[in-house]
Amino acid sequence: MKRLEAKTLRKLEGSMFIAPWVFGFLTFVAFPLGYSLFMSFHQVKIEVNRTEYTYIGFKHYREILVANGSLLYEELIPFLKQSLMMIPIILVFSLFVAILLNLKFPGRTLFRVIFFLPVIFSSGQIVQEFITQGEGSLSMMQSLRIDYYLKEYMPAAWASPIESVLSSFVLVLWYSGVQILIFLAGRQTLSASVYEASRIDGSNPWNTFWQITLPGLVPYIFLNLMYTVVDLFTFPSNPIISKVNTTNYGSSSALAWIYFVIIMAFVLLTLLLYRKVDKALSGR
Amino acid sequence: MKIERGRPGFLTDWRPNAKLRSRLELLRYRVLGTEIDKGILFKLVVYFVLINVAFIYLKPILYMVTTMVKDAKNILDPSVIWVPKSIYLGHLQEASHMLNYGKSFLISVSLATSVSVLQMFSCAIAGYAFARLDFPLKKLWGALLLFTFIMPPQVTILPTIMLFKQFGWMNTFLPMVVPALFGHGLKGAMFVIIYRSFYSTLPKELDEAARIDGAGMLRMFFRVMFPISRSATVVVLLFAFVWNWNDFYFPSLFMFTAENVPLSITLARMAGEMEQAAGAGEITVYAESIKMAASFLIIMPLLVVYLFMQRWFIEGVERSGLVE
Repeated sequence: MKRLEAKTLRKLEGSMFIAPWVFGFLTFVAFPLGYSLFMSFHQVKIEVNRTEYTYIGFKHYREILVANGSLLYEELIPFLKQSLMMIPIILVFSLFVAILLNLKFPGRTLFRVIFFLPVIFSSGQIVQEFITQGEGSLSMMQSLRIDYYLKEYMPAAWASPIESVLSSFVLVLWYSGVQILIFLAGRQTLSASVYEASRIDGSNPWNTFWQITLPGLVPYIFLNLMYTVVDLFTFPSNPIISKVNTTNYGSSSALAWIYFVIIMAFVLLTLLLYRKVDKALSGR
Repeated sequence: MKIERGRPGFLTDWRPNAKLRSRLELLRYRVLGTEIDKGILFKLVVYFVLINVAFIYLKPILYMVTTMVKDAKNILDPSVIWVPKSIYLGHLQEASHMLNYGKSFLISVSLATSVSVLQMFSCAIAGYAFARLDFPLKKLWGALLLFTFIMPPQVTILPTIMLFKQFGWMNTFLPMVVPALFGHGLKGAMFVIIYRSFYSTLPKELDEAARIDGAGMLRMFFRVMFPISRSATVVVLLFAFVWNWNDFYFPSLFMFTAENVPLSITLARMAGEMEQAAGAGEITVYAESIKMAASFLIIMPLLVVYLFMQRWFIEGVERSGLVE
């Protein structure tokens, strides 16, 4: 009896701690979420002191997906293709940089300070400013006429997203700030003694990387994958998100929901993949 | 060149003899090191890569700083690319005037500070509860936390605007501050997750000991748990401050007609004004410099904060389980 009481007491304590967050969730997430779903099925008319809703079913969805697909397909598909290429670049680059920064060498602190700068810049308007300055591209790309070769040898559907990734390559690196941090933190969780043991066993750094570092970082790779997906897809300057505005509440809500479902699909795919890889690794 | 495949003894000749091999080995050790990461070649490659990437990261900042101090003579002089021949601070003055810097700076500081401090506290509490406390439907709420992290804010933005309009919060700071109070707000879910993963790395004995010593739950949190989470706190505080300082999206929707706006909005307004001026035919060679000066004015406080915090920050990243 006494034990049960202690347990309920703990639950009560826990509830008190989580209550503010739950309240916030219900008010600022769940309610707006449900409301936007509701609006996406309605024609919304905002008048001075009241709002009128007419039920129209899936009309908004049909319009965006079928009738007037230009918005979705002409902007979303290239964007998805572009993200599909940016994500691996960001992941490989940040993993690479994190491993380099983890080495011990003179001047390491200075490099770390510089490499975390993107964390500060990349979220702001400043980055937009840099893009318009042309700071996002590598001048090498122009001098080697990469764009010309791309058009020559790639199918047209892929040439332009690849070209835009290349032309904003520096920008891609700029988006890697948090990912570098995550990998660096993840690298710290691998214990030094494992590395020592493998060194004594005579394995070279190349093997050590593939056998120890990379498998150990698998959870962080997926975390970064998820973070990158979420970050890229929720960046306010991306083409779809800028379409969600107050001009038409109903169809904007429908668009936001379609977009959200696509993101969820991406994330779930990531999670599924992670389960598979994790199982394969732990089964070894 | 002829390839003499058929020559007898080709394979044996090709192999270096033992003496040569040992010499090569020695050379390899010198250049590559006994382990790759100790050789000269490896170090050179590392520095080469790091310096190049660092340059990519620094170039826009250098460009920003050098452009904003160029006067007309330096802008039009083709021999001046990076280093101006003289330093002119007029653009900074002009930009700070156009940004209404004094007032907007104070607004940005107070908004970003209050939101990030609130987020730090409320997310620490929520993260602690998720990591170490028991409450009904814990699994469900945990899933909803992840859901909040994944969900783009654009899905809920329109109803949120309508909600805040109802409350009469438009054009005030409340739409940014109040969600932060409850552990939400800009990327709030991520901060909860950071705290949750930090608190779940602590040993269980810790709260048992505190409990035996008779600490109540609030006391335990504020006296034991929160103080030891310093490394996670630094990370969250810096992220929250920087992201809220830079955030344009929420303020632009919640307070776009307000008079007192943070720097991110004044920058956008200023850019709009300048575009309009350019459209009206007022072409000026200064536009670039003024924009860069404005960018510098906005980033500089962050750089100062970062320079002060970077040591703790890097330490914090390494020590806290920043991630799960």
